[in-house]
Amino acid sequence: MFEEYDDYRKQIREFGLKEFTDEVAAKYDRGEEYPDYLRKKSLSLGIVDMQNPAKILIAIEELCRIDAGLGISVTTPYFGAEVLMLFGNDKQKEFLNDVYSGKYVLGLGVTEASGGSDVAHIKTTATKKGDKYILNGSKMFITNGAIADYLVVLARTSDEDKPHHGLSTFLLNTKLNGFKANKLTGKLGVRATNTAELTFDNIELSSEDLIGEEGKGFYYIMTFFNISRIYVAAQGLGIAEGAFDKILEYVKANEIKDENTMFEIADVATRIEATKELTYNAASYLFKFEPRPQLTSMAKAYAGETAVYASEKAMEILGANSLEENVERIFRNAKIMEIWEGTSEVEKLVISRFILKGE
Amino acid sequence: MSNLNEENNILRDTVREFCEKNLDEKKIEEEKIDNNINSLLASQGFMGAKISSKYGGSELDDISYHIILEEFSKYSPSIAMKIFMINSLYLPSVINTEYESYLQDVSSGKMNVSVDFMNNKYKLEYGNNINGTVENILNTDSENIVLFDGKTTIVNGPFKTREKDFMGFKGLKFGSIELNNKYNVIDKNSRKEKIMEDSYNDLSAIALGIISGAVDKAMDYSRVRTVFGAYLKNYEPLVFRLSEMYSKENILRSILYSNLDKYYTFNFAMNSIVEIARFSVNTHGGYGYFKDFGVEKFYRDAIILKSVFYGNSELKQLSNHVYSEKLTFI
Ligand SMILES: Cc1cc2nc3c(=O)[nH]c(=O)nc-3n(C[C@H](O)[C@H](O)[C@H](O)COP(=O)(O)OP(=O)(O)OC[C@H]3O[C@@H](n4cnc5c(N)ncnc54)[C@H](O)[C@@H]3O)c2cc1C
Repeated sequence: MFEEYDDYRKQIREFGLKEFTDEVAAKYDRGEEYPDYLRKKSLSLGIVDMQNPAKILIAIEELCRIDAGLGISVTTPYFGAEVLMLFGNDKQKEFLNDVYSGKYVLGLGVTEASGGSDVAHIKTTATKKGDKYILNGSKMFITNGAIADYLVVLARTSDEDKPHHGLSTFLLNTKLNGFKANKLTGKLGVRATNTAELTFDNIELSSEDLIGEEGKGFYYIMTFFNISRIYVAAQGLGIAEGAFDKILEYVKANEIKDENTMFEIADVATRIEATKELTYNAASYLFKFEPRPQLTSMAKAYAGETAVYASEKAMEILGANSLEENVERIFRNAKIMEIWEGTSEVEKLVISRFILKGE
Repeated sequence: MSNLNEENNILRDTVREFCEKNLDEKKIEEEKIDNNINSLLASQGFMGAKISSKYGGSELDDISYHIILEEFSKYSPSIAMKIFMINSLYLPSVINTEYESYLQDVSSGKMNVSVDFMNNKYKLEYGNNINGTVENILNTDSENIVLFDGKTTIVNGPFKTREKDFMGFKGLKFGSIELNNKYNVIDKNSRKEKIMEDSYNDLSAIALGIISGAVDKAMDYSRVRTVFGAYLKNYEPLVFRLSEMYSKENILRSILYSNLDKYYTFNFAMNSIVEIARFSVNTHGGYGYFKDFGVEKFYRDAIILKSVFYGNSELKQLSNHVYSEKLTFI
């Protein structure tokens, strides 16, 4: 699948191998610093092409295969763009060009300190006042939070019997008064990515900042997740492949031939192949505009678990040699795959719900 | 625990109190174990837990030693690793050699020592001095170090060291040491294999502490965190798994302290530890991914413990033990 992009895949891999050296990856990992120059470089070389979903998928997979911290850093400044693309007004759609060109960094703020799985119960409010909305509340663990120029934000605009009915999405300019971002440090992995806690203190939003219709925010965000999860699956796939690369390198270099290790290699390779089939299959439906959320969630959950599994195997097979930074970093990066964009447990809820609905 | 007596329980409480009163785990991870902590550990007899009283040690029995390792590990796996390196690795390396008397300064916390358990191959030159670089040494700020280079060698510091970031047991300094130092062969045979095999129960005790710390944190969190309007403890899949893990923790404690069979115990510990630490992170959602919650450290230390101490050779030893013969493999 996606063989037509083989040349593109090669080009991405070359870029990654050249730019994501161990020294660079270690530096940004250790310093918990966002590598903005790599974002700019990837854009200027046309490495990240946000207009073509298949290319995004491949770029994410190949870059995360080399280093997930850097790979996610250069492919995530567009996070949330699909909400605007699908539901935004003309001006917001036009604004996307500035995001794709790299003029602005975007992010998506859904999760709050009180809960990320339970999206419908968020507490941030956007209260209508004349033709304005006044935004109050806070967000937790927001990727790009402290570097974003704009954020797609989910907030409650009305109290309804069904909590997911009263939510709306807004495009928030982070330069507005009342916005504060507090960079969070001390992550286990993907430390080159920027994560922040946000507070909104009486931020005045205009009605033009509303994305789509009032009260439809929950639906927009769920639609978005059904798209973005395929990219997270690609992150997981890439991490697993990167871990497997390290296993093969080590086994070959040390001429390890015992049968137990051969079986381990076979198991990891099989899981990666299954992950790839699942991810590409789910992606092919999505890219034909026939999304199958249960497939997307299966891919996301399975890829996340495969990333963790492959990285743990790499640590175990390499033994003390796994302590070389580039392997332990893979292990630390992998774990986020089971947490963000819906934990594995939440994906399982989505999968069974859709299957039982017969969709 | 039925097979633990009153004295054992008092010791457990003492270690717990000591940790809570004297140790700041986050600080240990960030700033490493310092001389102050070394002296404190020594003054309570933890440093020389197994060392003979002749050298100022506590000369504890196995059960008491394992209680100490378990409880420290639950609070700070780095401290447990330090105590382990001294009592399970260094002590049997130097015992019955002219360096035995070093144990006096070791148990009093005056002498920091290390044993290389990670390397199997060395590229060292032996003349008047020993020359070469040894990678992956835990506790690099040691005054002397034991190497198992086909024999058992003690090398005296000071060492030229290069510190590296290390994912696990962060309270200990880690890196490579460049040797151009005086050395002494203290045993013409390597004591490593026997020492490692003899330390299975000790490592299982450290694993138990990590497991217990991870399970406790996850269960505590499940009682206070709400999602979709209910406590986490009200969700079947999560609680079923946590309960299974709690069961495993208690099975491990029971087989460890009843001294069932060190091979079985070690295998069980190593097969449980990573999964349990990982699920504890999962249970905490996004918070689990940040060091502030003190749970990701268990996952890091768990994978290091398993990767470094448990692999093909340990599985071979288990199989030889089970088959009661030295098996040869294709
Ligand atoms: C580095 C990082 C970056 C992030 N970036 C973003 C971002 O850019 N934007 C954003 O909006 N969010 C972001 N997040 C948040 C992330 O999506 C949430 O952490 C995640 O959705 C889980 O939410 P939570 O942390 O509140 O966990 P909780 O929702 O509190 O869940 C706790 C545990 O309960 C389990 N659980 C929940 N419901 C059930 C159930 N019904 N049955 C069984 N188990 C259940 C969960 O799986 C989890 O194990 C980020 C998080 C991290 C760590």
